[in-house]
Amino acid sequence: MSNPSSPAYLSNFRKGLIAFLEEAGAVTQFAGRFFSQGFRPPFEWREVIRQCYEIGYKSLPLVGITSFIIGLVLTLQSRPTLVEFGAEAWLPAMVGISIIREIGPVITALICAGKIGSSIGAELGSMRVTEQIDAMEVSGTNPFKYIVTTRMWATTLMVPILVVLGDGIALYGAYLAVNLKGGISMTLFFHQVFASTEFSDAVPSIIKSYFFGFAIGLIGCYKGYNSKKGTEGVGRSANSAVVVASLLIFIIDLIAVQITELFGLI
Amino acid sequence: MSDVRKDNSSEPVISIRHLQKSFGSNRVLTDFNLTVKKGENVVVLGKSGCGKSVLIKCIAGLLSYDGGSIKLFGKEVAEMSQKELDHNRARIGFVFQSSALYDSMTVGENLEFPLRHHGKEKTKSETRDIIEETLSNVGLSHAIDLMPAELSGGMRKRIGLARALVLKPEIMLYDEPTTGLDPVTGKEISQLMLQMQEKYHTSSIIISHDMNCSRMTANRLTVMINGINYADGTFEELKNSSDPNVNSFFEFTAP
Repeated sequence: MSNPSSPAYLSNFRKGLIAFLEEAGAVTQFAGRFFSQGFRPPFEWREVIRQCYEIGYKSLPLVGITSFIIGLVLTLQSRPTLVEFGAEAWLPAMVGISIIREIGPVITALICAGKIGSSIGAELGSMRVTEQIDAMEVSGTNPFKYIVTTRMWATTLMVPILVVLGDGIALYGAYLAVNLKGGISMTLFFHQVFASTEFSDAVPSIIKSYFFGFAIGLIGCYKGYNSKKGTEGVGRSANSAVVVASLLIFIIDLIAVQITELFGLI
Repeated sequence: MSDVRKDNSSEPVISIRHLQKSFGSNRVLTDFNLTVKKGENVVVLGKSGCGKSVLIKCIAGLLSYDGGSIKLFGKEVAEMSQKELDHNRARIGFVFQSSALYDSMTVGENLEFPLRHHGKEKTKSETRDIIEETLSNVGLSHAIDLMPAELSGGMRKRIGLARALVLKPEIMLYDEPTTGLDPVTGKEISQLMLQMQEKYHTSSIIISHDMNCSRMTANRLTVMINGINYADGTFEELKNSSDPNVNSFFEFTAP
C-alpha cells in the first residue's frame, strides 16, 4: 500500500483533484449552455413531448412497482417497533411522512438515474460515435438544442410527476401492508396520512424533485454528448451517467434538507 | 450513361489554400491546397488515417482549422457567423462513411429532418412529395416507413445519399461512400452518385480509397500524403505516374 505522504501518492492525488475540478467545470459550463439555449426560441416542442413520453410514461411501470414494494416493506418493517411502544395507530402517519418527505423522492430519483440516466448516456454516446450528431450539425440544426435541451427539459418536468405518482402508489402499498396485520379502511388510512402531513412536507420534496430531474438530465446528456473512444466509450458514458447522477441526487438531498431546516420547515 | 463528369465551368465553389490542422502534437494537414470548380468531381485519395475525413469536416465547419484558408462559395468558412454557416450548410450535402442515419427515426423522418430545420415553410403534402421524389431517385421508395436498423449496408448508403440530396445541395461531400460494400453494390453507389450529379448539377469532393469508385466518378484526383496534396491529375495520369508513392495506390486496379 502506498504511503499517503509519498511524492507519487501526492502527485496522483493532485492529478485526480485537477481532473475532478476540470470535469466539474465542464459540467457547469454544459449546464450554462442549457440555460443560454434552453429558454431561447425556436423551441423543439415536438421533441420535448416525445422525450416526456419516452422518459416519463415509459418509466412509470418501474417507478410504480418499486414504490409499491417500498411502501409495503417500509410499513411491514416499521410496525413491530411501533407495536412494542403501543403506538401502532401512528403507523399511517409515520409511513406517510417518511414517504412524502424523503423516501419517495429519493427512491424515485435513484430509479430514474438508473433507467433514464443510463439510457440518455448510451443513446447520445452512440449518436456521437456513429456521427449522427455531426449529421445534425451539417443539416443546419443545433444538435445541443435539439438533443440536449429537449432531454433536460423532459427529465426536469417528468421526474417530479413520477415522484408524486410514486408517492401515491407507495402509500397504497403501505395501506395494504397495514391491512395484512390488522383492519383499517382506505378512507381512514389516508385521512390519518393527510392529517399528519402538512403543505410544508410536500412542497420542499416536490421542489427538490425538479433538481433531481435536472441533475439526471444534465449528467446523462453531458456524459453521452462528450462520449469518446467508440463503443467502449458508449458503455462508459452510460455507466458513469448513473454513478454520477446517483451521487448528485444524494448531495442535492443533503443540501435540500439543510435549506428546509434553515427555513424552519422541518 | 452520358458523361456528366465534364468540367463545364471555371467558377470555383471550394478553394482551399495552405490548410493546416493538428490534433495535439499530431499534425494531420500541413499544407493542403485544392480548388473545386462548379460541376467538378474531385476524388481525394490517401491512406487510412491520413486526414481525408478531417479535410471535409473542416470544409463543412464541423472542425475548425488551425491555419490557411477554406473559401466556400467565395466566403471564408472560419469567418462565417453561425447563421451564415447554417445557411451555407443547406447548400452542402454530406454523406457520412457510416451513413449516420438517425436511429430513432424512420427513413421518411430522416429525410424530413433537414427539410424541417431549413427555414422554408412547406406543407405536409409538399414535404411528403419531396421525400418520395428523393427516395425514388435512389430507388428506395418502398423504404419510407422502415427504421434504419431494418436496412442493409447498401440501402443505408443510398438513404444517406438521399438525405444529403433532399435540400438539393450545390456541393456534395462524400466520406468513403463505398467502404464496406461488396463490389457490385459499390459500383451501384458510384453510378448513383453520377446520376445524382447529372440530375442536381452538383460539385463534389469524394474521399475514397476505392479505385473503381474513383475511376468512375472523378474528373480529377488528388493524392494526400503527409498532409499535403502530393499529386494531382486525372485517373489515367496518376495511374501512369512513375512516382512509387502515387503508383502504389493503383497497383491492384484493373488495366
